[in-house]
Amino acid sequence: MNLFGVLEVSASAMIAERSRAEVVTSNMANLETTRTASGGPYQRQLVVFRSYRMPQFPLMLAGLRSNSAQSVRVDQVMADRTPPVRRYEPGHPDADREGYVSYPAINPVEEMTDLLGAVRAYELNASAVQASKNMIQQAIEILR
Amino acid sequence: MIDTPMMRVLGRFLDVNSFRHTLIVSNMANIDTPGYRTRDVNFAAELRRVTGVAEYAAFTPSSVQVQGLLERPDRNNVSLEREGLLLAETQLRYRIGIELLRSEFRKLSVAINEGK
Repeated sequence: MNLFGVLEVSASAMIAERSRAEVVTSNMANLETTRTASGGPYQRQLVVFRSYRMPQFPLMLAGLRSNSAQSVRVDQVMADRTPPVRRYEPGHPDADREGYVSYPAINPVEEMTDLLGAVRAYELNASAVQASKNMIQQAIEILR
Repeated sequence: MIDTPMMRVLGRFLDVNSFRHTLIVSNMANIDTPGYRTRDVNFAAELRRVTGVAEYAAFTPSSVQVQGLLERPDRNNVSLEREGLLLAETQLRYRIGIELLRSEFRKLSVAINEGK
């Protein structure tokens, strides 16, 4: 068994959660964006996680194939397919012929809870790293 | 090799605990992964099996899916409370194992030094 490999599992989760937080923040920032590079209003982005088995070098050296530890990574960032919200603003430069402006369909409350979830999951994994570090430290204590 | 049967048992006890720790951390990492199922080791049975054998038998890890947990709509059933509690518990067990192992080594060292 390898306790150092566990740190990598936690790290992978922290990386994934941080990218989730980044995507959510960008959704919140683009709440009112009507112009994008691809044209049209900004589209809400969603993060999809996937678990995978990380090939662990120390384990391979020891001839052990531990298939239990599952790391996590961002599998894809996909666009929310909800149609944009149309608001009547005839004076707006991006208004269509009928005077409607398409705004991204983003609910700030939803994004906020998502962000909080990402932060909490990040903290959870940070405390798991702390726990693993303690165990490694204790194993070293045997030598003293 | 200088070791006592107690040391061998303690070593395997630590193996089981650190394996369980790996599973708990892996569960925690996948708390937001759709479709992920909580995994754990059958702790009591594994410990009984591992400490029962007298000879040098290596611990072969095997994990099982935990049943009866509340499942979220994305088919993920990781429980934050369960994992947090187990993380603390496993750490304490590991600590106990380490302390007992240290005391075994201290006894050895006393035996060596008193013989001088």
